[in-house]
Order: sequence, then C-alpha cells, then structure tokens
Amino acid sequence: MATKKKKKATAVASSLANDDIGEARRLELYTTQLECRGVEQKAHDLFLQNLIKGTSHLGIGQEAIAAGFAVAMQPTDYTFCTYRGHNHTLARGASMTGVLGELMGRQCGLLGGKGGSMHLTSVEHGAMGSYAIIGAHLPIAMGAAWSAQYRGTDQVSICFFGDGTTNIGAFHEALNMSQIWKLPVVFVCENNLYMEYTPISEVTAVEHPAADRASAYGMERIIVDGNDADEIYRTAQAAFARARAGDGPSLIEAMTYRHSGHSRADPATYRPAGELEAWKKRDPIPNYRQRLLEFGIAESDIVSIENDVTRRIDEAVETAKASPPPAEEALMRQVWADGGSAWRN
Amino acid sequence: MAELTYREAVAAGIAQEMKRDPNVVFLGEDVAAAGGVFKTTVGLLEEFGPDRVRDTPISEQAILGAAMGAAMTGLRPIAEIMFSDFFAVCWDLVANEMAKSRYMTDGQVSVPVVIRTANGGGVRFGAQHSQSVENWAMAVPGLKVVAPSTPADVIGLLAASIRDDDPVVFFEQKSLYASKGEIPDGEHVVPLGQASVPRRGKDVTIVALAAMVPRALAAAEILAADHGIDATVVDPRTLVPLDTRTILEETVKTGRLVTVEENPRLCGWGAEIVSIASEEIFYDLDGPIVRITTPHIPLPSADALEDLALPSVERIVKTIRTSVD
Amino acid sequence: MNVVMPQLGETVAEGTVSVWHKTVGESIAENELLFEVSTDKVEVEVPAPASGVITEIRVSVGETVDVGTILAVIDGPGEGTGERKPDTVAAPAAAASASATTASQYDDIRLSPAVRKLIGEHGIDPGVIAGTGVKGRITKADVLAHVSGGVPSTGIVTAGNRDARGQPLSPVVRRLLAEHGLDPARIPGTGKDGRIKRDDVLGFVNGGKPAAARSPGTGVPAGGQVISLSRIRKLTGDHMVRSKATSPHVLQAVEVDFARVERARTAHGAAWKSDRGFALTYLPFIAWSVCKAIGDFPHINASIVGDTLVLHDRVNLGIAVDLGFEGLMVPVAKDAQALDIAGLAVTIRDLSVRARDGKLSPDDLTEGTYTLSNSGPFGTLITAPIINQPQVAILSSDGVRKKPVVIESEDGDAIGIRPVGVLAQSFDHRAFDGAYSAAFLNRLREIIEATDWSAELG
Repeated sequence: MATKKKKKATAVASSLANDDIGEARRLELYTTQLECRGVEQKAHDLFLQNLIKGTSHLGIGQEAIAAGFAVAMQPTDYTFCTYRGHNHTLARGASMTGVLGELMGRQCGLLGGKGGSMHLTSVEHGAMGSYAIIGAHLPIAMGAAWSAQYRGTDQVSICFFGDGTTNIGAFHEALNMSQIWKLPVVFVCENNLYMEYTPISEVTAVEHPAADRASAYGMERIIVDGNDADEIYRTAQAAFARARAGDGPSLIEAMTYRHSGHSRADPATYRPAGELEAWKKRDPIPNYRQRLLEFGIAESDIVSIENDVTRRIDEAVETAKASPPPAEEALMRQVWADGGSAWRN
Repeated sequence: MAELTYREAVAAGIAQEMKRDPNVVFLGEDVAAAGGVFKTTVGLLEEFGPDRVRDTPISEQAILGAAMGAAMTGLRPIAEIMFSDFFAVCWDLVANEMAKSRYMTDGQVSVPVVIRTANGGGVRFGAQHSQSVENWAMAVPGLKVVAPSTPADVIGLLAASIRDDDPVVFFEQKSLYASKGEIPDGEHVVPLGQASVPRRGKDVTIVALAAMVPRALAAAEILAADHGIDATVVDPRTLVPLDTRTILEETVKTGRLVTVEENPRLCGWGAEIVSIASEEIFYDLDGPIVRITTPHIPLPSADALEDLALPSVERIVKTIRTSVD
Repeated sequence: MNVVMPQLGETVAEGTVSVWHKTVGESIAENELLFEVSTDKVEVEVPAPASGVITEIRVSVGETVDVGTILAVIDGPGEGTGERKPDTVAAPAAAASASATTASQYDDIRLSPAVRKLIGEHGIDPGVIAGTGVKGRITKADVLAHVSGGVPSTGIVTAGNRDARGQPLSPVVRRLLAEHGLDPARIPGTGKDGRIKRDDVLGFVNGGKPAAARSPGTGVPAGGQVISLSRIRKLTGDHMVRSKATSPHVLQAVEVDFARVERARTAHGAAWKSDRGFALTYLPFIAWSVCKAIGDFPHINASIVGDTLVLHDRVNLGIAVDLGFEGLMVPVAKDAQALDIAGLAVTIRDLSVRARDGKLSPDDLTEGTYTLSNSGPFGTLITAPIINQPQVAILSSDGVRKKPVVIESEDGDAIGIRPVGVLAQSFDHRAFDGAYSAAFLNRLREIIEATDWSAELG
C-alpha cells in the first residue's frame, strides 16, 4: 500500500490543514492510482509479449474510481467488481506480484492460476471477487451487506459495475431488494460511455443508465466526475456514512472513460474521432499530480513516490515472470471445501 | 419415534439446524409469513424471528445472490427456489457463481449455501411447474445434489447439507410432501454420499430416486408375490457425492440393473450410473442394463396423461418382467 | 412315490435299466437296493427313495429311457416328490448340426471365410467351438478339431456370443464359462427361452444337479470324513480323465546334472532376490532350456488335429500352479521362446502369484503349446504327468538333490557330488515315437548341463 508521507511545512500548509481530505489521504490516492496505472500498462506490455494469454480487460483511465473508494473505505469492508477488476483488486491492497502472476497463469498468482484475469480475488483484503457474468455480483454484494447487517457489524459492501450492467435483470433485482431490506451496500456504476462495443445511449432508455434509475428504487440520483479522485473520495464517504448509519443502499454513477478497447481483442474503432483525445485531457492521473503540486506538495516528493511505485512494479513483474506454472495437482483441487474434487466413492 | 409428513420434516430439519447454529438464516418467496406455498416452512418465522427467516420479492437471482454473498461472509444461508423449474431463471448464480467460486479462487472463497426446491411432477401443475431437474445440478461440477425419499432422510440430509461447507442443491419431491414416515428421536444427521438399501433381493437391483423409490418398492412387492422376481432396491439419496460402491456391490450380487428415474429420458441421472456399471462391472452383468424413465417430452397437465408419462408401478413391474428372466 | 431315472452325469441324458432287484408286490425299505442303471460311462446301483410296496414297474430290463422317466412306483409312507423335474437338458451339438444352420446367422462373431465355410458345411454353431486363435478367435483348426471330436484346448472354452440354441450369453456367463473351461452346450439354461443365466453356470459348477445317491454297497467303508470336491478339482479331474482317454501316454525320463545352474543361482541369487523380491529358482533355467530344445525338436511343441500334427510357431509354456492343494491352474507364458531367463523368471513368478490370487484373465489360460509341471520343492524323485490337451507332451521337474555321481575324465573315473534331478516327459505316442522324445530329452539335458548361465543372465 502507499507509504505514508509526513506532512511537510510549506507555504500553503494552512490550506492543507483545513482541507477535508488532507495531504496523507491525497498521497495515498495518488499512489494508488499510480500503482493501478503502472500495473495495467505492464499487463498491456506482457500481453503483447504473449506472457499473458486469453484476454484481459484493462481499466486504464478509470483508476480514480477504484482508488477513491478504496482509500475511503475500511479494511473490513467488502468489495465486488467486474472482470475489469485489476484496479479494484490492487486498490484494496492485493499484491502486484499476485495480480500479475495470476494474469500470467503462474503459481504466485492470487488464485494460483486457477481463475485468471476476470476473477481476481483477495478475501484477506476484502476483495470478494471479480465477476465475469454481467450483473451477477450485484445481488452477491447485496448478500454480503445482508450478512453484515445480520451480524450487527458496521461493514459496508461496495459493488462496482459498468454502464452496460444497468440493463440486465440482476441489476434491478439487487437494487430493489437492497432498498426494501435497507442493506449497507453501495452500488457504483462506472459509466465509461460504452457497453462493450456499443454506445450506452443506444441501448438504454434513459440518459444516465444508473442515476436515472435510482428513483425507481427509492434512491438518490448521484452523478460524479469519475476522473477526480477527490470527488470520488467525498462521494464515497457520504455513501458509507449512510450505509453504516443504517440508512440503506446508494447508487452512484461515476462518469469516466477507458483508454483502451473493451478487451485486448478490441481495437475500439467504434469510437468517434477525437473522443479519446478529449478524454485523455481529463486523464485522472496527470490531473491529480497537478493538484498535488497546487496543494504544495514538493515535486521531489512526488517524483520519489513515482519512482518507488515504478520500482515496486518492476520487481513484481520480475518475480511473477520467475514463478513457475501451477503444478499438476492444482487441477483437481479445491472444488470442495475439503480441498478435493471427488464426486463418488 | 415420531411420525411426520415429508413436508413437516422439512421444517423440522431447518429448525433443528437453526437452533444449533445462529449463523443459519433462511430466505425465499412466501417462506416466512405464509410458511411456504407447500407449507414446508410453517412455524419457522415464529420460532426464529424476522431477522433469520425472510420473505423476498419475486427475484430468484437476488435470492440466490444474497444467499451466496452472505455465505461468503460468514453465514450459512438456506435459500428456497419455489419450484425447481425456476432454476432456469437464476441458473447463473447456481452454475456459474456458487459452483465455481471456490475452484476459481483456489480455495479463498467458501460458499456454504443450501438451495432447497420443490422438484418433480405427479401433481398436475403442468410442464413449467413439474420438472425433475436434479440431473441439471448433477451435471455441474462444484454442486452437491441431494434428493431424499423419506421424511427421516429429509431431516437427516437437510442437516448434513446445512453443515456442509459446499453449495448443496436439495431437491424435495413435491409429490412426496404428504407422505409419512417415522423420524428418529433427537438430533438426526445422515451423511451425504451414503445410499440406503430399503429392500434386498437376489434377482435384480433397482436403483431409484426420490418419488420413484416408493414406486420401486411397490413394484418389487408385486414382482415377488406374483412373478417370482425378488428385487433389491437401492436409493442413492444423494447424486453428488454418489455412493457408487453400494450401487455396484448390490448390482454384482444380482447381476441385473434397472434404474427408475423421473427425469425425461436424455441425460437423466440414471444414464451416468449405467455408464459406470457397464464400465466397472461389465463382467458381472447377467443381462443388459435397463432404464425406466419419463419419455423425452415436457410433462402434460391432464392427470390421465401425466400418469402415463411418469414411471408408474405398473410400468416398472412390466418392464422388469420382460427384461429380467 | 415315483421312482425316476436319475441323471448320472452332467451330460447324461438317458439310462438303461440293467437289473431290477425287486418285483411288483414286494416290499422294500428306504435305501435298500432297488435297481441298477447303466450308461455309456458308468454302472450304478440305485437304492429305493422310500419304504413301501412296489406297486408298479413301468420300464423293463434293457429298456433305455430319458432321465426323469418314471421307472417304478412305491406305495407307502414318506410320499415325497420322488418325481424330479426333468432338467431342461441342453440339446447336444449333434442336434444343432442336424438343423443345418448357416454361417450368415453368426455375422456378429468374427469368423474367417474358411471357418464360415466349414461351419456351414458341417452345420455347427460357432458358439460351441473352443477358439484357440488370437483372443479366442475360432480358427479353421478349431473347427476341424471340433468336427473330429477333439477335446477343447487347455480346457478353457472361449464361447461366442450365443450358445448352441442361439440364446445370448451374457458377459458374466461368458466370463464364468471361460474361467471354468465349460462348454455352454453342457449347461441347461433356466432363463427366458432357455437362456443360460449366471446362476445356471454357478449351479452347474457347484455340481447342483442331484446325482443319484451312490449305493452304499460299493466297498467303501462307512464313517470317515466326506469332502465335497471343489469345482476346480472337479474340472481338473474331468480334464485328466479326458486327456488319458485321448492320448496314449508314454513316460520317459533323464537324470540331469544341475551343477552349472546351481553355480549361477549361487552367484546371482542374492542380488536377484534383493532386486526383485523373489528367489531365482531352477524353473526359469529349465523353461529356457526347454524352449531351446524345442527349437531343435519342433514336434514336441504341437497338437494333433484330426489326422494332422500341427506344429506351433510360438512356444507358449503352461506353468502348472498348485492352488494350496485345492486344485491346479495352468497359466501360460506366451512366446516363451523370445524371453531370456530373467524374463521367464519374472513372467513365471507373475503368473504364479496371480493364479494364487485368483487374478488370471481368460487370456492367461489359453493357447498353451507345452507344459511344465514342477514338484521340485517337495523333493520328489519322478512324476508321470498327464498331458495338457491339446498339447502332445508335458515335462515334470522333480527334486534336485546332491548325489554322488561318476565323473569321467582323461585321468579316469572319480566320484563327485553334484546336484541332480530327474526331468520326466509324458508324451502322446500318436505324435511321435520314443526315439524322438528321447532325443529331445537328451538335448534338453545337454543344454542345462553345458550352458554358460552367467552369460545368459547378463
């Protein structure tokens, strides 16, 4: 996770002290976004080197959402994300070696090579899975919230999904039931404007696929700039507070854009000319860097963070590359809780 | 020993486990206030309260998703899918999510869920409310599949299923809900993966499941009394894990094997047993293996037609008489 | 009570009353001798099944009637079911041939054109023919053997898919038939349409048909212990009787000096035992030598088929294995001629272990061409073994013990001490004469006494 930096005395120290987020959190937010971006870029490169097989769904450009929520939540909270979940899993604290190793199908992978890119999970960090069937994890996230409510803890369940998910049945079932049971679950729609290869507007009856449906389930209409980690952070805090207070679920629509195609197989030629360039100007990371400087954090401190992240990512890549493929016995293990797969005597 | 109906045994089994373990919770449509559309969960809301016994909207995906999410985070939920036909509405949660999460995460995720459902025909509900789909569940790696035929087995197997850390699909046969049976006193648990042998004979081994078990037993009596054929009846009770040892041993003793299945013909659970027997005890078979099943059709609703479709005692007797010499 | 013609053997379908010891009107006590029956194999005295008065005698002396026919009636107490149900006797192969079956009915069994032609000509159901070909296939020679009345090969019948009546033979029935070396034609079937069921074979094997009680007056003293003959013993006994009835046996023996073998065993034995887990005995050396000797005397490794002597290319050595005094099995080491001593030792060991564990497959018991019987461990002097049909010779090796022998040298004769044993061959005099057999035995002795065994053991 991010190394916490001591607050340095600067000319704008007073405004930092008055800020609701604070330098420490901001550095955490920046570091987390950097880690996500760096790992995703490595994943892109490793795919081109044929060290990552199959397919990958990269979240380049959408780091602010994963980072903003992760920094705002408690370690005991539960997160559920989609197959585009590398960022979300890393942001909860899962190791880079584990993530990269899993993408490359190695023993050091988070899942021992059994699940792959689309199913990254780290239960010890509260990352309760990445889900490849659209919409399936919304009711599952709701179930984790139910469990927290039943057990009387203040845990919250946070569920990340894309704009396309808002049109599938499970979305509606989960929202409805979460509301009637007043469950501590936060539904976060990352609207990156495209449902796979199709503009979301062409397949949705309303303009904002999540926010414009909130009222149907008795929830507030919340739209936020998904590329501003601070805005995300604040929105997240408010939703968590509501949930922990027993006031029930929230539905948040975060506007963002993905820099790459839907998956590695997609060159994204369906995007209109200029759209990608316009959004790249709103790239969350350079913008956040700029904000840090405006808040008085020294360039050298920022560079130091960046170098540290780069070094850790490079180490993780080498470690993962050196890890062997899973042993043969991994094939038949862990179908059942006893570790085996026997269906007969 | 008390005598309970099969439906009363469902409530008794759930209650036994909910008393034992505060992490056991239960949700489904009309299960709490109404005590279940088949009156299988009467009294549970009163005994355990609305936090533990919950009514849901008509939202099968949400019901199973909620059960899975809760199971992954410390609870032991029981979810009801009212009619097993409705699995088709929420099969993703069963086959793609619950069944696979442990394997895909190499053991990080646990899903100790029991999905109870009313399965099977014979009650004139028509094609979309009468199917026997235990074979669907059997075909998915990662699911345990239970199908009791007696009230005692309902309690015992429900207890074992709830205590099991893996996802279990528990098929109650609706045509058996009114049937009665003796229940042992005290806590009753029947381990999964153990067949029972309610009748032993020497001429043929009949393997039957759920509602077909009483029919097989009745047929066996007729075969013995009127036709000099003395049959063994084996009730596997669970399809996964499968007690192949008992099935094969009992078949080797008689040399003949017949299955009686409520599934439609293709890929019914009996097909797998026939395959195992023909591979592993071929040289002990004194004749071809025969499957008695529903024909490969949706089920009709008229009582006269439905009775022709499901394997009847008469059809079981006739088939065995002509195929076992 | 009815007195019926008893079944005096599994294949016996009828009998002839040869003597009546009582007449109508006489009284008789239970178990008192009532009549005598003769069949083509045996004469039997039959006691009365109950006490009473003979009210009828329906069959006279010299009359031949079917098994189960009522011969006489006794009127008296103890009315039991003296009338036994006549068994559904299998139609003998001759009856099947009379119905002129055609080969095309048996398309589901692999039959070569030559075989098809023959079975068509002779009207035989291939199901009754013992197949000695690959995987039990019926060869032309098998058909000819059947036609000329030859006995089944190595006692094991690999039945086709159907029996003489055209009824199906189930997997378990076929396995049991093969295991026990039975011809399905001998077994009455109680299944649908007379199908042979598993229990029919098991019942047959266990001697289920109640034979007529032997008369107590046959000179056997009363008292003592009665032991039922096991099915393996009965089978073995049947084979032995048939073999003696088929082949004119001649016994010939040689005395062999096993000194070189002994040296090799001493030199290699410890390492062998620790490597392989079992001891290196004389038998692999003898087996190897037999294969070599057969190379020079091929008629030893043959079968008589009709008027021909069929020489076998392969030497498939049958190894007689005693099953704890409960019976004999003869598993076959196939292509022994291609094995070296180590290979033979391992193969022989594997067959013996599996025979004792009951884990032989039907293939292990077929296609033998020569047999070795070893009584050595018991230290016997000599054995006159019975030929394992349809082979033409069998070798017995007995005890090897140190004996004083005369050793000739240029400097004169001296007495030495050598391990010596007798190898005795029983051969079928229809195949060759004493001179040929003697020459073979001499060659065998030469090989055993002169081979550089250490070189062969490697």
